[in-house]
Amino acid sequence: MNTPAAILEIKNLVREVPTKNSPKTIVRNISYTFEKGHIYNILGPSGAGKSSFLRLLNRLDEPTRGQVVFMGSSYDQCPACGLRRQIGYLFQTPYLFPGTVRENLLFAEDKLTEEDIRHLVKQCRIPPEIIDDSVENLSIGEKQRIALARLLAMKPEVILLDEPTSALDPTYTRAIENLIKSIVGETRVTVIMVTHNPEQALRMGGLALLLVAGELVETGTVDEVVNNPRTETGRRYKGKELQ
Amino acid sequence: MNTPGFIEVFLSLALVALAIGLTVWWKIPVQKDMSLGSVRAFVQLVAVGYVLKYIFALESILLVFLAMMVMITVGAYTASERVKKIKGTFVVAFLAIFIGSAVTIAVLLLLKVISFEARYVIPLAGMIISNSMNATTLTINRISADIIGNRLAVETALALGKSWRVATRTFQREAAIAGMISTLNFMKTVGIVALPGAMTGMILAGAEPVKAVLFQIIVAYMLLSVVTISTIVALELTVRRFFTPFHQLRLDIL
Ligand SMILES: Nc1ncnc2c1ncn2[C@@H]1O[C@H](COP(=O)(O)OP(=O)(O)OP(=O)(O)O)[C@@H](O)[C@H]1O
Ligand SMILES: [Mg+2]
Repeated sequence: MNTPAAILEIKNLVREVPTKNSPKTIVRNISYTFEKGHIYNILGPSGAGKSSFLRLLNRLDEPTRGQVVFMGSSYDQCPACGLRRQIGYLFQTPYLFPGTVRENLLFAEDKLTEEDIRHLVKQCRIPPEIIDDSVENLSIGEKQRIALARLLAMKPEVILLDEPTSALDPTYTRAIENLIKSIVGETRVTVIMVTHNPEQALRMGGLALLLVAGELVETGTVDEVVNNPRTETGRRYKGKELQ
Repeated sequence: MNTPGFIEVFLSLALVALAIGLTVWWKIPVQKDMSLGSVRAFVQLVAVGYVLKYIFALESILLVFLAMMVMITVGAYTASERVKKIKGTFVVAFLAIFIGSAVTIAVLLLLKVISFEARYVIPLAGMIISNSMNATTLTINRISADIIGNRLAVETALALGKSWRVATRTFQREAAIAGMISTLNFMKTVGIVALPGAMTGMILAGAEPVKAVLFQIIVAYMLLSVVTISTIVALELTVRRFFTPFHQLRLDIL
């Protein structure tokens, strides 16, 4: 079953969280195989469990059942910290540590050379003159790109992006989308990106997964999932009945 | 001056009456707390006076040890009561106070700075444990508030492959300072702003001021030791409780 291109295999993943009355299942028995170098769009209405799913892939949370296999080895055989450097995670709201842009990049990877920093900054379209500025007064779009550069500094195999454009205006949104696509072209990194916007998924291209109420209901190319859903739930999502 | 007896204590109630009278006049609603507090101070202190008299007379190591354990337990309970936010703080507070106090008292005894007599060990243990209790409470409160309030910062560091220790480092430093600051301030101003109770007590009881001062210096150093140890133990144990073995932040201890 372990095709050479498979990078992340998810097997019967379940996450339950305790609530006042009974445990609530927020990720329901998801199985899927992500392959190297593709873009995956995770679609779904609000509260579908998209962020919860991504957190499991970064092992920020522990699954109740099931497992994730990264390049042939199960998550519970890998040290969590090393794993997270291979599978970078970008939070919905970027958090930068107090200090300069350079310090933030070096926090992720202290072996970065001057050359590496110049490359990252160029790759993520960060204005070079702000490298030694404090991150405090930067715009949210700049912060998002610095957070992305900081992620790429670790040279991850997979990057998990949780609605990376939700706080940005349309121009910035396009800029980040193009940036992500160009990074995939350059580095063959695998991108798993959450978006609640089918239009954005279509612009990103590649493959899509539709999550509804913690369940994986549709998979396929973005076009198939967005425009030609196979399931009843998928059609209701297309018809904007599920928000 | 003679040391006071029950008559003098009774006469000093005039001050309590004055304080209560003033609060009635100014309509500050604390009369009940004041009268109850005065009675409690009287009862508790008289009781402890007789207990100490008994312990000092017996001079039993076991009894001294037992008294210290009671003090530590009450201290840990009080500290955990003041940290309502996170579950199961009693054990953390107990260990922090116990380890800090035990090490400090053991060093004083081993170096023969004080001799193992109830009349020295118990009052010193009282000072040690109450300072340890305050440092422990402040440390636990500060570090848990900082971790909860900076969840995104902590998880961002974790997601960049950092260990929980690195991810909480700045908050640990802040909390350690919060735990130790009042002792550090005390050290700076002792003798100038504050004449500490132990020293005042000794002078009032007729000891020579220089002797009282030397004693007070030892007290200051020993507080520094206990507060530092308790702060570090409280910090280490509390931060650990916020993370799983896989460096995941867990908020289910709230
Ligand atoms: N630790 C938790 N305890 C209780 N409920 C949780 C917990 N984490 C997530 N949930 C619940 O799980 C569901 C899925 O949440 P999640 O954040 O994954 O959704 P989402 O698809 O990312 O939504 P959005 O598009 O709004 O970001 C929600 O109903 C949420 O309230
Ligand atoms: Mg989300």
